[in-house]
Amino acid sequence: MRNYSVTEFIGFLNAALNEAVFPDGVAIEGEIAEYRVSQGKWIWFLLKDNDSVLPCFGTVWKLKQPIEDGLQVRIYGQPKVHERSGKFSVVVDRVEPVGEGALKRAYELLRKTLEQEGLFDPIRKRPLPKFPRRIGLVASRESAAYSDFLRILGNRWSDVEVNSVHVQVQGKDAIGDIISALSFFSAHPELADVLVLTRGGGSLEDLQAFNSEEVTRAVFSSKIPIVVGVGHERDETLADFAADVRASTPSNAAEIVVPDRIEIRAAIESLRHRLVGRMEQTINDRLTGMDRSVRVMERGIMSSISSFRHRQRDLADAFSLFVDRVAGSVRDLSRLEAGLFTASDLFLTRLSGRLLNGSRLLESFNPKSVLRRGYAIARYQGQPIKDAAAVAIGGRLDVELHQGQVGARVEEIIKSKNQ
Amino acid sequence: MPQKKSTPEKKVDFGQCYAELEQIIDWFDTGEIDLDEGLKKFERGLDLAQKCRERLAEVETRVNELKLKFGETL
Repeated sequence: MRNYSVTEFIGFLNAALNEAVFPDGVAIEGEIAEYRVSQGKWIWFLLKDNDSVLPCFGTVWKLKQPIEDGLQVRIYGQPKVHERSGKFSVVVDRVEPVGEGALKRAYELLRKTLEQEGLFDPIRKRPLPKFPRRIGLVASRESAAYSDFLRILGNRWSDVEVNSVHVQVQGKDAIGDIISALSFFSAHPELADVLVLTRGGGSLEDLQAFNSEEVTRAVFSSKIPIVVGVGHERDETLADFAADVRASTPSNAAEIVVPDRIEIRAAIESLRHRLVGRMEQTINDRLTGMDRSVRVMERGIMSSISSFRHRQRDLADAFSLFVDRVAGSVRDLSRLEAGLFTASDLFLTRLSGRLLNGSRLLESFNPKSVLRRGYAIARYQGQPIKDAAAVAIGGRLDVELHQGQVGARVEEIIKSKNQ
Repeated sequence: MPQKKSTPEKKVDFGQCYAELEQIIDWFDTGEIDLDEGLKKFERGLDLAQKCRERLAEVETRVNELKLKFGETL
């Protein structure tokens, strides 16, 4: 018999279990009990059936599948004796629910977890292109889903290119295939404006890939808007919830991603109709506007004309007024003239009267005219004599009479008394 | 990546045509329409509607089967 140290023994035991007895690990089915998580890192539970229990250990980063007591699961892992405690457990790598009830339960658990994380949040949903030019199709080429999708697509629409990637939609490769296909399209956005992930209906077990956390996350993180259409009307997978748009069936997915050409033809007709209507309306509006402008212009012209007429009349009035004034002036002038004549007549008459008087007066001053009345002018030595002293006795005097002259001799000189 | 030349890549893009047609209708709906521009848009709209109809009639769906080696794409 060989002696071991404790450490040696446990080491030997673990090596024997892992390398000799279970080189591929173990898969064990049972029901979960006493599930607990310590320090947010370590997961402990018992796997049991009617007669036995098996301690299990795992880590939260490895066991993504939500677990709760009572869940029927299959665990994958390695049996191990722990050095520190000497306790035996199975170190679990993977847990998967088994049986319809367990699957449903697991589905609910995961749905709740992912929902809380926001993977199904409506705010995150993106709109799909109205007229996609390229569709990335992720489906199994052997499936009815694939042919249904393409058939409906062709019936509805034609202007589209489908880039199809074949994947397994159930079985062990399904999850990996689908994730690869989705990330391939995310890396090649030029190949698809929209993605369609689809498969036909099936049992919960068949649809397991579409309910897996990995595929759900891959759908959620697709860089291209994605439609997921799985199964029949009533199948709702977690991938469906994470999609931008959920289709109830593969055919429905086709209806969602492309429009119906009959509808679009009608829509084009209606757009054309509206276009023509708008144009007619525009032209009519413009014509009405023009009518209005013409009317405004007419009114403008009419009012110009009438104002012109007014002006004309004003002008005529002014002219006649002017004529009147001129006529008045002429009348005034003739009156003035007449007055002038009258005045000048009077003036002349007066003037002539005065002239007459003047001439009479002048006449009266004429010495000759005095002579007529009997006066005579006596001249001595040619000079009229005004003083008796100027003459001498015997001197000759020339006496002028009214008619004729006489010569006379001075006989006496009589001087005036005051001399 | 898309090969040009004889391939009919220069074809009308249905989505663009349709969107432009809708834009033109919207433009007409916004009021205040310049007649010259309106006529231009009207003609363009009719042309687009015609192109869309032709495009609907002529095209076939094309399906390309892509072969992925799954190990490598990840």
